[in-house]
Amino acid sequence: MKKYINKLVLLAVIIMVPAMSFSQYCNYFHSKYCLQSENEMFKLNGQSKSALFSKGQTSELQIIVYNKQDYRISVCMDENLGSQVKFKIYETKKVKVEKVIETKSMEEEVESCGTCNGTGEADGEECYDCEGVGERTTGNEVEVISKETKIVVEKQKQLLYDNSEDGFSNEIEFTVESTRRLTLEITVPGGGGGDATTKKRGKLMKSSDMGCVGILVEHMTTPVSGFYGSGF
Amino acid sequence: MKKQSKLILAFLVGFPLVFLTSCGGDVHVEEAIEDVVEEVEEGNQTYYRIPSPDEMFGFIKESGLAFNGELLNPIQNAVNYSDPKMQALNFGVYSADLAYTAAYEEFNETTKYFATIQKMSESIGLSSAFDKTLIERAQANLDNADSLVEITNTSYFAVVDYLEQNEQGDKLGLIASAGWLETIYVVVNTTNYATDKTAVDRLADQKLALDNLLDYLEEYKDNQDVAELLGWFNELETVFASLPEEEDSGSGISFKKKESGKMVLGGGSSISISEEQFNAIRDKVNEIRNNIVKVEA
Repeated sequence: MKKYINKLVLLAVIIMVPAMSFSQYCNYFHSKYCLQSENEMFKLNGQSKSALFSKGQTSELQIIVYNKQDYRISVCMDENLGSQVKFKIYETKKVKVEKVIETKSMEEEVESCGTCNGTGEADGEECYDCEGVGERTTGNEVEVISKETKIVVEKQKQLLYDNSEDGFSNEIEFTVESTRRLTLEITVPGGGGGDATTKKRGKLMKSSDMGCVGILVEHMTTPVSGFYGSGF
Repeated sequence: MKKQSKLILAFLVGFPLVFLTSCGGDVHVEEAIEDVVEEVEEGNQTYYRIPSPDEMFGFIKESGLAFNGELLNPIQNAVNYSDPKMQALNFGVYSADLAYTAAYEEFNETTKYFATIQKMSESIGLSSAFDKTLIERAQANLDNADSLVEITNTSYFAVVDYLEQNEQGDKLGLIASAGWLETIYVVVNTTNYATDKTAVDRLADQKLALDNLLDYLEEYKDNQDVAELLGWFNELETVFASLPEEEDSGSGISFKKKESGKMVLGGGSSISISEEQFNAIRDKVNEIRNNIVKVEA
């Protein structure tokens, strides 16, 4: 009996440990597995991130890139997720836009009394309330739509880079000339696709359909090139 | 067999069975080991990142701003933060102060602030983030500027990772927000609007970092402490919102390849800031920072 229990314990451990440790295993994935720049001036940026992905999943990372700095962004992932990751960079902006906002409300329906002057009829009832041309309530409610123009703040995304147009490169290095808020969108191919905007929580996935994706962000002050100052 | 043993046996037999059934098939044990299942969140997730304090301090040091030790939150205050919210917030403040002292090679101060946040980490359940190796490395490199900056970064990133891993996004929100605010507090109180243009521009750019921070905090606003902090930061956002963003006359923002082959992200809008707006930001930052570091009498 003891031998039987031991085997079961071993089996349970083998099954459970990888499942429990998957997300923890992803934690430092970017610093362990994404290739760092050979340029020693580049430093690890705290906006780097690793996460557990399933095939077909799309996720976003919002970062800030500063003026007068160079950045290198590289993406790496577990082999079982494939070799090509889709990687897009958007600028995210908050912009003020004029928006017509419609509000619906229920109001009492009114009807014209026409020429009713207290002696006529409207819908078969005597119309005592009207004096000449006027209105009276029918007792029914109708939906009324009112429109109002307001200034609202909206998030807008503009596509700046798509690695499918760059040979599915998994890294990009650039100089920033004005500070930007960027959205890095990562899509792991496969998994039957589906609508990425539909949020389904708690789906059970096979481990072979899951893996870590790391986004390594490195930065350095943009090197000054050329001759500066008067010199001698 | 004792009742407890029966329960263990039932669990050991039943638990894998639940998983195997979820796979939807009559599978062998060997296959089950290959195809472990896990509950994952599917769909489009968004993660927000805030530049860590070291990035800002490294930049302002290069731009020529001097170190001002009077701006640090004195380490003697640490023992007075007994409320969990104040502990988390001031952990963020001290983390930024640590990065500030390390960036400016103020080794004595760095040692004290490292010890302070290490001690605070115990009271707020973050001691796991400070493993023995990290502490030993810090002690061995107290006079090495580059190593010390790297170690302070490692400790900051370890805390961020630990909190994310343990799904304590609300606590991370408090720590990261306070750390960001302390960074801005130091910059705005050491910058001369008339002479330190680079630092002034970097301060204006914080409008974008604050947007990221607010979006992150919004996700945890059900937490009362986060909601209170969000209220303060929304007031600060109102001040930042007044900074105009001017579009350039070109074709807008884009990646362009220069002749050297280097990619450049340029064009689009840029944020400007007047002296009046600079002063308004400083006043609001000082007010919020005072709310965070104040010690109850």
